[in-house]
Amino acid sequence: MSDEYENKSGYQAQSSEALTGSAGSAPDMDYVRPAELPEQDLYHGHTFLTKWVFCQDAKVIGVQYFLTAVFTGIVGLILSWLMRLQLGFPGLAGFITAEHYYQFVTMHGMIMVVYFLTALFLGGFGNYLIPLMVGARDMVFPYVNMLSFWMFFVAVAILMASFFVPGGPTGAGWTLYPPQTILEGTPGSGMGILLMLISLALFVIGFTMGGLNYMITVLQARTRGMTLMRMPLTVWGIFTATVLAMLAFPALLVSAIMMTLDKVIGTSFFMPTILKAGEVLEYGGGSPILFQHLFWFFGHPEVYIVALPAFGIVSDLISVHARKNIFGYRMMVWAIVGIGALSFFVWAHHMYVSGMNPWFGFFFATTTLIIAVPTAMKVYNWILTLWRGNIRINTVMLWCLGFIVTFVNGGITGIFLGNVSVDVPLSDTYFVVAHFHMVMGIAPVMVIMGAVYHWFPLITGRLLNETLGKWHFWATFLGAYSIYFPMHYLGFIGVPRRYYEMYDSPYMTSAVGMNEFISLAAFLVGAAQFILIFNIIKTLKTGKPAPKNPWKANSLEWHTSTQPPEHGNFGERLPVVHRWPYDFSVPGAKDDFIPQTTPPSEVVHTKVEKT
Amino acid sequence: MHAGIIFFLVILGSILFHIFTPWYWTDIASNWKGMDDTITLTFWVGGGVFVAVCLFMIYCVFKYSYKEDRKAEYKPEDKKLEKILTVATTLGVAALLAPGLIIWNQYVNVPKNSIEIDVMAWQWGWQYRLPGNDGKLGTTKVVNINDDNPFGINLDDPYGRDDVMVQSDIINLENNRPVKILLRSVDVLHNWYVPQFRAKMDAVPGVVTYYWFEPNKVGEYEVLCAEYCGVGHYAMRGGVEVQDPNSYQEWLGEQETFSDLLAKQNKEIETKKVAKNNSNIEKVIYKEEK
Amino acid sequence: MSDPKIDGFELKPGFRGMASDTGSDQTMFKGVHWGKAMMWIFLLSDTFVFSCFLIAYMKGRGSTPVEWPNPSEVFALEAFGVPVPLLLIALMTFVLITSSGTMALAVKYGYEKNRKMCGWLVLATAIGGLTFVGMQAYEWSKLIHEGVRPWENPFGAAQFGSFFFMITGFHGTHVSIGVIFLFIYAYKVFAGHYENGGKRGWFTTMKGDYVEIEILGLYWHFVDLVWVFIFAFFYLW
Ligand code: HEM
Ligand SMILES: [Cu+2]
Ligand SMILES: [Cu+2]
Repeated sequence: MSDEYENKSGYQAQSSEALTGSAGSAPDMDYVRPAELPEQDLYHGHTFLTKWVFCQDAKVIGVQYFLTAVFTGIVGLILSWLMRLQLGFPGLAGFITAEHYYQFVTMHGMIMVVYFLTALFLGGFGNYLIPLMVGARDMVFPYVNMLSFWMFFVAVAILMASFFVPGGPTGAGWTLYPPQTILEGTPGSGMGILLMLISLALFVIGFTMGGLNYMITVLQARTRGMTLMRMPLTVWGIFTATVLAMLAFPALLVSAIMMTLDKVIGTSFFMPTILKAGEVLEYGGGSPILFQHLFWFFGHPEVYIVALPAFGIVSDLISVHARKNIFGYRMMVWAIVGIGALSFFVWAHHMYVSGMNPWFGFFFATTTLIIAVPTAMKVYNWILTLWRGNIRINTVMLWCLGFIVTFVNGGITGIFLGNVSVDVPLSDTYFVVAHFHMVMGIAPVMVIMGAVYHWFPLITGRLLNETLGKWHFWATFLGAYSIYFPMHYLGFIGVPRRYYEMYDSPYMTSAVGMNEFISLAAFLVGAAQFILIFNIIKTLKTGKPAPKNPWKANSLEWHTSTQPPEHGNFGERLPVVHRWPYDFSVPGAKDDFIPQTTPPSEVVHTKVEKT
Repeated sequence: MHAGIIFFLVILGSILFHIFTPWYWTDIASNWKGMDDTITLTFWVGGGVFVAVCLFMIYCVFKYSYKEDRKAEYKPEDKKLEKILTVATTLGVAALLAPGLIIWNQYVNVPKNSIEIDVMAWQWGWQYRLPGNDGKLGTTKVVNINDDNPFGINLDDPYGRDDVMVQSDIINLENNRPVKILLRSVDVLHNWYVPQFRAKMDAVPGVVTYYWFEPNKVGEYEVLCAEYCGVGHYAMRGGVEVQDPNSYQEWLGEQETFSDLLAKQNKEIETKKVAKNNSNIEKVIYKEEK
Repeated sequence: MSDPKIDGFELKPGFRGMASDTGSDQTMFKGVHWGKAMMWIFLLSDTFVFSCFLIAYMKGRGSTPVEWPNPSEVFALEAFGVPVPLLLIALMTFVLITSSGTMALAVKYGYEKNRKMCGWLVLATAIGGLTFVGMQAYEWSKLIHEGVRPWENPFGAAQFGSFFFMITGFHGTHVSIGVIFLFIYAYKVFAGHYENGGKRGWFTTMKGDYVEIEILGLYWHFVDLVWVFIFAFFYLW
């Protein structure tokens, strides 16, 4: 075997030696507690297989997650085109029957929420950024981390396989509500749903392996001087989202297991007595609403699993590019943690009109609106970070601004839907579709795009083209906004969601024009993503090499020994952290940024307030 | 510069769209005006916040865009401002929540004088049953359902005998008289929703769910299914006709009761039911072709 | 790494200690092995899995239209010609709790670097777990013999069989996985993988240490604790 371990136990000794050695010369104010942990041994692959395929380097795993998630995202995007084709121009594409339409809706929803956004934020950004940002050499369990990706990969493969089995993929809606989901007559109620459930279970198992890594790395493997309150908000967002996922996915796993049993061996966990085509089925005595509770106990935290990393990342991007410290860091951290905790107590706001005991409505409406307060605080803090800043209006910042607009828009419509009695007329209409796309579709995608432009130089060593980036942004932002802003009004009219066609009711036909417009905008948005792909290819071939730390950021990922960072991240010696990552434009400092690794003795003459 | 202008136009466009939109809710035809009012209130408060936040953001983009010689302010924490914002937001949210809860309280408490209507859903259609002279609906069971007993009424339940069976997908309602909709389904989830009445609730197989409203405008309305129930979901329609009391009584008198039905248990019923099923199927096909 | 002596950091007791650990750099749980922290968090997640199962069971039991079977009749075992309610279950519970005891002793001897004792006790725990799985298999076959199936049963609500087989099956899988690992770890202890600096495992870059026995022990105690809940919910309710 040509692969080998590199035993770095020597390094740590060296660094603590250096510490004691320099203790005499360096002023006391620079003192940082010595290392608690021995150096982490890393496994270095040398063959193609161990270096790029079954790689144990979190950065490579992050990129693998990223690319796989983007692939599913493209599938989801193509499905959305097909749906919009049908809704805007019914009958134009003859092959989109009602069955197919519902299969597209289901797969689109599930792919976008779970396999695209969750995997991309936690698996992609989480793997790449957590070790770098907290100053670790790698995730704490690199082997398990590698397994996590491959489990995810298999889950995606199984999901995609369901497109090709007899009966096609499941068409039960991404919420998979029983009894519908497993009854004959529903598209894909045979192999399709089975593969979906298996794929979800594998996803959960794979995610658990990754999630343990993310959590322990943040909790137990930070570098010297890196306290929790000095972590970039990106890490806080991803960490909290991981905690939510670790506690919410169990409900999904359990409901998937129970539904599989209902489907395969004929138990009746979720299946009441059913009369179908004049015959009473074998099922009886189960509770469909039980499934909904389990599903949304997972499903609501899931929304925040997607949102919290986006919150964290966007905070960092705004701060770096506005050259200003993040406003109210502590408040931001507590808001992230508070939102995370509260998100376990709001799930039934998806079920106001589900037929559950209506008295729950009071409780869940109250908790839901309480969650609006920390969320609003985050928004205030973003715009107050811009205030009196020195804002670079570059592509990254544009995505952040686009995020603020779409997120606030979607957040406000969330207050409509959370407030029980307002939800009654609006639930299950296009208002809901517009709301969740704005808040958890478009807004997080804006952040992803911003993050791609921001960290691309770190990952590849080249800067993406700004002009193309701006075109990409405006086409995507304006297009997406014109899809979803008018769509709310379809909901006001009363058009229910998951309608294959909107025909004949007089007040619905009035919206034909709007539907055509929305579809055209959707095609534009999809097409605009090719600008990014073109930009990436072009940059990789001929792009400008990025200078070290091109954005003049403070956090550790930009202060590695090489750019892009190598395996082990920080070369010979791990960085030592002396401050939070938001010391921008400190009065008296010679640059407008002070990296986290700068010791206090070098900036004594400045007015740093926070460390 | 141009970025700020475009963002400003987006916000301006949103406001103008809202003012001039030809698409807004249908004229209300029930007692749930409170829902509309709460939406309006939320709209103004929420819309105000949205516009304010975005305008502030645009202002910052204009005022503070990058200049080499400018230095951003350095002020990590501003406890006072944060406190003010938290308190103001909390108050705003509470002000929106209060009317929401008050109306929900009305929604879950059904008035005593309401008529109960059994709305039975299946893939893909509706049928209705009203209590007879005793004012009570008979109990039902899914397994009882057959051609002779389309609602699955328990034969040993005395309350069931005089129930009025509306074997049509259109139900007539008396104007200004509250109705309690009792929903049940024999197969999957459905939702009986008339946009003009604003109210809705899922029909869940295995249990009976309910909601109530009071129609207050004579006219014909369309029932839409608002919970995904399979490939026929989008075509699962029904109807409501709200009538003045006299016409309503007249219509009610013409309907068959369960005992009528039991009395003439013969082949005829069977053919009728088959024909009805066929017409349902035809309807779906017809709509798909359109 | 089991006994923390951290330079320059005073471990304070109680709540203040927790707060100062949380506020510190590098680690939140001072001196806690990565693997041990991971196991704790995994078990927290697993707790949610079992909670979901048991809550679903409560809801399912509460909403079936058909009567729930009487557990003390269904689970009775004939001993010397008299049906004794819950006899088998009591035995199973006893075996499992005992195996938790041997596991705890194994951890103790592990930290004392007493390789022989530690190995034998891990092996004893594995055998206890195996016995439990065997008795469970016996109980399953007895119930199946009496006509209980996941989709129906002669005693009442069909959901009884569904929940019983699903939840005990899921728990039994946990026990079986634990047994497999106990055997592997017993081998590793005897083979000396945790001695003299430790030998690297297959799945990890970390070197072996007796702390791994403690980590496995955590899992085992958890599985045990879950059984107590299952016992209470199925047999005593
Ligand atoms: C421009 C991109 C997108 C377009 C044009 C689009 C379009 C659509 C359409 C037409 C539907 C079906 C609505 C219905 O019939 O009820 C839908 C449903 C859905 N979409 Fe998207 N979508 C896009 C991006 C996203 C993203 C990024 C997400 C990630 C959260 C997402 C999540 C969902 C979900 C969860 C559903 C509901 C599926 C269901 O009803 O079962 N979409 N989308
Ligand atoms: Cu939610
Ligand atoms: Cu429907």
